[in-house]
Amino acid sequence: MATSSNALRWTTLVLRVVLGVIFVYAAWAKLRLPWQLFAMSIDSYQLLPTPLVELLARTLPWFELLLGLVLIAGWWLRITSTMISALLLVFFSLIVRAALKGQEISCGCFGPGETISWKTMLRDGSMLAGSLFVTAMAFVSRRRSRMPAPEAPPLDGTPPVPAPNLPPSESQ
Amino acid sequence: MRLALLALTAVLVAGAADNGKILGSPTAPLRLEVYSDFACPACRTFHEQTLPMIVRDYVMPGKLAIVNHEFPLNIPAHKHSREAANYATAAARLGIYQPVSDALFRAQESWNESGKVWETVATVLSADQQKKVQALVKDPTVPAEVQHDVDAGTKEKISGTPTIFLVRGAQRLPIPFPVNYGFLRSLIDGYLK
Repeated sequence: MATSSNALRWTTLVLRVVLGVIFVYAAWAKLRLPWQLFAMSIDSYQLLPTPLVELLARTLPWFELLLGLVLIAGWWLRITSTMISALLLVFFSLIVRAALKGQEISCGCFGPGETISWKTMLRDGSMLAGSLFVTAMAFVSRRRSRMPAPEAPPLDGTPPVPAPNLPPSESQ
Repeated sequence: MRLALLALTAVLVAGAADNGKILGSPTAPLRLEVYSDFACPACRTFHEQTLPMIVRDYVMPGKLAIVNHEFPLNIPAHKHSREAANYATAAARLGIYQPVSDALFRAQESWNESGKVWETVATVLSADQQKKVQALVKDPTVPAEVQHDVDAGTKEKISGTPTIFLVRGAQRLPIPFPVNYGFLRSLIDGYLK
C-alpha cells in the first residue's frame, strides 16, 4: 500500500516537472522569435479576429512561462495544474479540429515550422493525459491532507472515539 | 500577368538574376525563400494573392529578394509536378521563369488532370523560346537542378508546400502558412528598421 502510494507520488512529481519544463521550453521557443511568427501560427487556425490574435501572440508565451515555472516549483498546485489542463485541452481540441478539417497548418506549439500531424496529436494528447493525472492527484492529496488521521483502537477493547469534525485547512 | 509585370520590373530594377529564379536584388537585406509545387493549390494562392503584394511593397524598392525553389511533391495527385518544375527551371535559364510559373499556376487544375504541361507552358512562349525551352529541358542539368532544390528542401525538413523562409543573414525564420500579410509586413518592417 505504502509502495503504491510512493509510486503515485513519484509519478506525479516527475510528470509535474516534465510538464513544467515543456511549458517553459514552449514559451522560450516563441519568445526568442518575433511575436508575428506566433501570430501567423494562431491566425492559420482561422478562428480569431486579428486584434485578438495579436493580443494572444504577445501574451500567451509569457503566461506559458509563468505556468511552467509555478508548476515546477509546485506552488498552488491545484490551480496551476487545472489551468495547464484547461490550456492543453484547448490546444488539443484545436489541433484535432484542424486535422479533421484537413488543414495543413503550423501547430505553433513550439514556434513555427511544425505542421500538424498524428505525431503532434499523440504528443499533445499525452501531455493532456499527464496534466489531467497531475491535476487529479493534486485534488486527491488535498482531500487526504484534510482527513483526520485514523486513531489506533484502545487496547482494552472499548470502541474508538470518533474524531471531531475539523475545520478545513487554509493552506493548499 | 500583374505579377509577371511587377516581377519583370523588379528584375530590371535589380539588373541581375542568379539562376533566373531570384526576383529582385540579390543584395537586398532580406530574402524570402519559397519552396513550392506547381500542382499545389495553396502554392497557387500564395503565388497569386500574397506574392504580388510582397513584390510591390518590398521587392521593387529593393528591400527584399524572392528566391524560388522547386519542391514537386512525390504523391499520385501531383504526378506532373516534376515535369512542370523542369519546364519552369528550363525557362528560368532564359530569364522567363515568372511568365511560365504564372501560366502553370493559372492553369494548374487543367494540366494537373490532363498532363498537358508543355501545352500550358507553350502558351506564354514565342516560337523561338519554345525551341530553346524544349532543348534545355532535355539537358540533364535541368532535372538535376530541380533535384538539388528537392534535396535542399528535404534537408530543411520540409513536409509540405508552400514552405517559406524569411532569411536575414544566417537567420532563417519559417513563415507559417497561410500567410497573414499584415503580420508578415509587420515582421519585415521590424527587420528593415
